[in-house]
Amino acid sequence: MRLRWVRGRAAEGDGPDDPDRTREWVGCDDAGEAIARVVRVSGPVRAGWRLRYAVARDAEARVVELRPPVDRNRRWLIVIGGRVVGRAALPLQAVRGAEAALGGG
Amino acid sequence: MARTPLDRIRNIGITAHIDAGKTTTTERILYYTGRSHRIGEVHDGTTTTDYMEQERERGITITSAAVTAEWKGHRINIIDTPGHIDFNIEVNRSLRVLDGAVFIIEGVAGVQPQSETNWRLADRYNVPRIIFINKLDRTGADFYRAAETLKEKLGITWVALQLPIGIEDSFKGVVDLVGMKALIWEGDELGAKFHEAPIPDDLKDRAAEYRQLLLDTALSVDDAAMEEYFDKGDVSVETLKRCIKKGTISGAFRPVLCGTAFKNKGVQPLLDAVIDYLPSPVDIPGIKVAAAEGEEEEAERRVIKADEKAPFAGLAFKIINDKYGNLTFVRVYAGVARTGDMVLNTTKGHRERIGRMFQMHADKREEIKEVYAGDIVAFVGLKDTGTGDTLADPADPVVLERMAFPVPVIDISVEPKTKDAIEKMTIGLQKLAGEDPSLRLRTDPETGQTILSGMGELHLEIVIDRLKREYGVEANVGAPQVAYRETITRPHTEVYTHKKQTGGSGQYAEVKIVFEPLERNQGIVFENQVVGGAVPKEYIPAVEKGIRAQADTGVLAGFPTVDFKATLVDGKYHDVDSSALAFEIAAKACFREGMKKAGPVILEPIMDVEVTTPADHVGDVVGDLNRRRGVIQSQDMAGTSVIVRAHVPLKEMFGYISNLRGMTKGRASFSMQFHHYDPVPRQIADEIMAKSA
Ligand SMILES: Nc1nc2c(ncn2[C@@H]2O[C@H](COP(=O)(O)OP(=O)(O)OP(=O)(O)O)[C@@H](O)[C@H]2O)c(=O)[nH]1
Ligand SMILES: [Mg+2]
Repeated sequence: MRLRWVRGRAAEGDGPDDPDRTREWVGCDDAGEAIARVVRVSGPVRAGWRLRYAVARDAEARVVELRPPVDRNRRWLIVIGGRVVGRAALPLQAVRGAEAALGGG
Repeated sequence: MARTPLDRIRNIGITAHIDAGKTTTTERILYYTGRSHRIGEVHDGTTTTDYMEQERERGITITSAAVTAEWKGHRINIIDTPGHIDFNIEVNRSLRVLDGAVFIIEGVAGVQPQSETNWRLADRYNVPRIIFINKLDRTGADFYRAAETLKEKLGITWVALQLPIGIEDSFKGVVDLVGMKALIWEGDELGAKFHEAPIPDDLKDRAAEYRQLLLDTALSVDDAAMEEYFDKGDVSVETLKRCIKKGTISGAFRPVLCGTAFKNKGVQPLLDAVIDYLPSPVDIPGIKVAAAEGEEEEAERRVIKADEKAPFAGLAFKIINDKYGNLTFVRVYAGVARTGDMVLNTTKGHRERIGRMFQMHADKREEIKEVYAGDIVAFVGLKDTGTGDTLADPADPVVLERMAFPVPVIDISVEPKTKDAIEKMTIGLQKLAGEDPSLRLRTDPETGQTILSGMGELHLEIVIDRLKREYGVEANVGAPQVAYRETITRPHTEVYTHKKQTGGSGQYAEVKIVFEPLERNQGIVFENQVVGGAVPKEYIPAVEKGIRAQADTGVLAGFPTVDFKATLVDGKYHDVDSSALAFEIAAKACFREGMKKAGPVILEPIMDVEVTTPADHVGDVVGDLNRRRGVIQSQDMAGTSVIVRAHVPLKEMFGYISNLRGMTKGRASFSMQFHHYDPVPRQIADEIMAKSA
């Protein structure tokens, strides 16, 4: 199913020369309803004394840790209905993955 | 000549494994940019950048020539660099002043050991790179396999901008994945024309697949481009190019092009890629000023940006002496310089006048009157400016970050074949050492021999060859030796009296000197603590001179003595019989006697060795390094290979390459560079002393 993709949340850039980058694209249907997301996993991230190898934000923007940690070469998660249905190396590949997972025309 | 705006300048290097085709590619670039009208072939010995005679004979590049070319309204300053490890200094200093690089790999072998070393050097300086897979005309060439070695050996994300049409003998052009069209060359000869054509049917699917991969990779660096793609299902050529440039500069991915320089295919699109994707001086952050004395390496420092209106600042990165005199190659980072200008050498603290300036086209030159930020130029008339020195406007005397130079670790003795040529030889060697910071010269005062220290056997061989050709001195050389040093390990105080009463005027001097060890790399420090005139002031310099001269011949095996402090604390003199000479002789003898009692040791160069081996041979490689007195520092996986790092004495590394090849069936590679000096173990010290006795 072809979706309309819009920018989701951004991650902070590293300063004036590095603007905030979108780390999430949201796929909407014709009615504008968000039905899929692709999210870039970051990590390792140190939170207090714990090292989290792979983290992402869920639909409510809570930080969730992913286990097992995603392999470094496939950092984009494909999320449909709150469930991770696949992973990809690059955002456009994740987008195609989401559309394929939704099937149909 | 019209001024080239900053954003139309590209300062690039061409770097690769030995023999990958850097010089051939540079030649083609010069031809197609209209500079040379007859193409040079490496095997004919007529190339423009390899202009030194022995380069022509050997077919390898030794120095890096800076050449300037014009392409589609842009000025490209190119530095062709050598592939051999002994000339790493050239690659090193070039990368330091360049903004981007064309990295060549071979279509048959893919990434080779020296490509890895040079790749990491470029990483160190964050140099943006595009990759050219060359020699696709050769038997056994395979674009896809060669490209895969980029990921395997270098662990990088590569993205094809082109695919080959045909291969080996039938290689005739490329598919341009940005414009989605074919480029077909109409012949193998120099200057062969090419035309655009539709993508051949048998390549359509593959082209579509790789085009998608290009979009997936390139657009991921730019959100607006992603949106354009979502909107239209594709992006404009401008958008795609913008994304490729952005990713190339940030290093998010490395674009790959291909062709055969020798058969003249693929060079023009490579030039297009240089101007489309490699940064101009304004696309990069600028250069940092050097850390001030005592300042942390990591501290925030001022950055000099490419700006013509700012005060002048440039870095001398290469000195060449040729028949016209002394040429100093300078990368201008900010401001403007004009002939006749006075600039400050802020590294050494003196003024220099710019006599004339030239834009270099290999061994030809074009005189210019002014040079602007971002450009590379050769100054003539500088008196005392060395490689790595900063030249700046006296009103804003910045010192730019210095270059790191390798320490020469191999010695050879040289003497002229005819005794009367000794002076000519010394002058020649001094000039050569002035051009090359990795070359040092000293005289062994005992034997009177001239000792030359360099990076490796090939390096020194070339120097001897240049001595012959450029200075007309034929020399006999000794076998290469490890450049050992001597030092002391505990303090000792020595008193020495030099007394000679033979008729007329005698000689008399007494010195009391404290010898103390210093940390590594402190050299020789001399201090005078004599009070009350026990040694008259006028004789103190003679004492220092004696110590320094004698230090060239260590007490154990005659190697230069370093890292110690000599303090003159007391002495005696005679009104009539004392002289500077007497004090110098006394100091020398005091050194010889005193050092023996200060726990002298021999130091040897320890190399930082990096071996890349297939995982199944790690055990053999590590075991062998241990037997060579190596200390393993780390082992890291890189793709299917393991990178072993170890500190190994240079002495144990002679002949290592053939051993390594045998052990791993030729699948491992290694590189090494000097790391530090360490005392040699007792048994080896005995061997060295026995040999020198
Ligand atoms: N078949 C084929 N041979 C090539 C090609 N490019 C270069 N060569 C040959 O490969 C050899 C080495 O080429 P150079 O251009 O000298 O290589 P280099 O990288 O400059 O070598 P160094 O400076 O010694 O590191 C020469 O004999 C060239 O003629 C090519 O595209 N195809
Ligand atoms: Mg060459």
